[in-house]
Amino acid sequence: MSAAGQDIALKGSRITRFVIYTVLIVFAIFYLLPLYVMLTNSLKPLEEIRGGGMLSLPKVWTLEPWRAAWSHAQIGVSPTGLKPFFINSIMMVVPAVVLSTFMGAMNGYVLTKWSFRGSGVVFGLLLLACFIPFQIVLIPMARILGLIGLAGTTWGLVLVHTIYGLGFTTLFFRNYYAAFPTELVRAAQIDGASFFQIFWRILAPSSAPIVVVTVIWQFTNVWNDFLFGVSFADFDSIPMTVALNNLVNSSTGVKEYNVHFAGAILAALPTLVVYIVSGRYFVRGLMAGAVKG
Amino acid sequence: MARLKIDNLRKSYGPVEVLKGIDLEIEDGGFLVLVGPSGCGKSTLLNCIAGLEDISGGDILIGERSVTGLHPSKRDIAMVFQSYALYPNMTVEKNISFGMEIRGMPRAAREAAINEVADMLQIRELLKRKPSQLSGGQRQRVAMGRALVRDPQVFLFDEPLSNLDAKLRVDMRTEIKRLHQRMGTTIVYVTHDQIEALTLATKIAVLKDGELLQFGTPDQIYNDPVNMFVADFMGSPSMNLLPATVVEDGGALMVSLAGHEGDMLLPAPESAAMRALLGRQVIFGIRPEAFTDPQGADRTTGQIEKRTCFVDVVEPAGSDTFAVVNLGGKSAVARLRADAQIAPGAVTELAFNMSKAVFFDPASQARVQ
Repeated sequence: MSAAGQDIALKGSRITRFVIYTVLIVFAIFYLLPLYVMLTNSLKPLEEIRGGGMLSLPKVWTLEPWRAAWSHAQIGVSPTGLKPFFINSIMMVVPAVVLSTFMGAMNGYVLTKWSFRGSGVVFGLLLLACFIPFQIVLIPMARILGLIGLAGTTWGLVLVHTIYGLGFTTLFFRNYYAAFPTELVRAAQIDGASFFQIFWRILAPSSAPIVVVTVIWQFTNVWNDFLFGVSFADFDSIPMTVALNNLVNSSTGVKEYNVHFAGAILAALPTLVVYIVSGRYFVRGLMAGAVKG
Repeated sequence: MARLKIDNLRKSYGPVEVLKGIDLEIEDGGFLVLVGPSGCGKSTLLNCIAGLEDISGGDILIGERSVTGLHPSKRDIAMVFQSYALYPNMTVEKNISFGMEIRGMPRAAREAAINEVADMLQIRELLKRKPSQLSGGQRQRVAMGRALVRDPQVFLFDEPLSNLDAKLRVDMRTEIKRLHQRMGTTIVYVTHDQIEALTLATKIAVLKDGELLQFGTPDQIYNDPVNMFVADFMGSPSMNLLPATVVEDGGALMVSLAGHEGDMLLPAPESAAMRALLGRQVIFGIRPEAFTDPQGADRTTGQIEKRTCFVDVVEPAGSDTFAVVNLGGKSAVARLRADAQIAPGAVTELAFNMSKAVFFDPASQARVQ
């Protein structure tokens, strides 16, 4: 009786597993298809794409589209390739991520461990920043950037992204530090540690998971931003996303689809690398903040 | 080492007053225990002494110096937290030396201090470990070690034993007492466990709802409670508090309790306050150990009264036997010798040690003397 029951259970679970795996594989193929199309077509000469067969593998393998996209494709008016814009983006993303992460950590530290009268309201206002649509602030922001002399510079973009990121980074760190035992802070106070000593010696060493979450979040958002880049950047501060658009939308000459594909992959590469390197901490960190906070 | 004086201390959070004018004083080398139910303000009071909370009124003096408004690190105190609050990213050694490092003490002096404390608390082999690799008792020791290296004027303990299992708690209690005897430093200790309070303290302060109900030696708190709350809170099993009526019998004041067969009369002390309650209700309080079998009764006192009682339930507890008796319409607990011959459902003679009896006014809950 029990043996028969076990057989049925086993058979049932095997069928379920088969169904689950089939569905998963189908979905994986579905989601990987665009990447496949981009990769294969970026490795073909242009004639092959024109000849149709987007889904077929290249007959002649070539890296020329990648070279073109990187160093000599026509972007807007000059044949510079994406390289200078890639560097622009890096120059913008790294300070913006570092600054917004650090300031978010400070905000979270103060809001949870040094809470003051009205700190709840301050936190609420900071959270509101997460819900303000980008478009609303474009004109006031352009005015302010002009007034402080940062219009059209990379540092202007850094400022915009830092301020915009603050709502989210504060939320992440506040939730994480809310679960951090306040008694540790009090013990450190009695030990005589100062405001910053407590932060660097006690809280910071335990913050790795939430720092990873914040860095991934901010890096992805700032790197992928198009609107602020297209609105506030001058020619020498244009970020990658805007340059990619200019590459694809160049109105003169032939449409070099293989170069476009290579450029698109180049633009997506850094966020992909960040995810692959630290992605496994992402969910863990998010959960830590969410469950305990 | 110094005395600690708390003078009319007030603390409010907005309109909510959590400490309503506390006056306390503990002599140099004393062991003050703050005890009370959850939410009575005892931890807030400790945090005020530590400087972790600002006070709304009154003053705190350590030695002869007012510490009001001083930063916690400037008050010359050390604190042991309920959760131990060991820095998770540092080894035991670093945990102990962190405060000294912040104060800029030279390395050699730090190491000497660590070694001394490690030997005193027998944690030398733990020095290189992280707090997560320690057991509860070991963490407790390390937390005490961190406090000890400061060599402060006053030690503050915030429910340090409440996270330990029952057996370890008893061991650590003894260890804290031994430490106090050896160091002779003034200690303020918060607990909700009345046994811890009675065993450790030289002075106990019983708090309730932000008010100091009684402040005295363990003996005063236990034998002379000022009101029904203190009487009920201290002692385990707690004091029997039985409704009775004050009557006069042949010129002497008596209390009359509802017994198993009609009313039972017991002598009451002659006093103006008692006489004022003549004919009215009074709460008769007697501790289980003063209500026992006639053979086990304290023979040194001349005020043993024997009465027959109906035994409802018998609970042998190894060292004692507890009998639940119907008295005054309530269940009263009597503490008998372990081998007292007693059966549930029997009517038997029990002895009341009236020198230990106390009386309360049921309306105000205050003691009637």
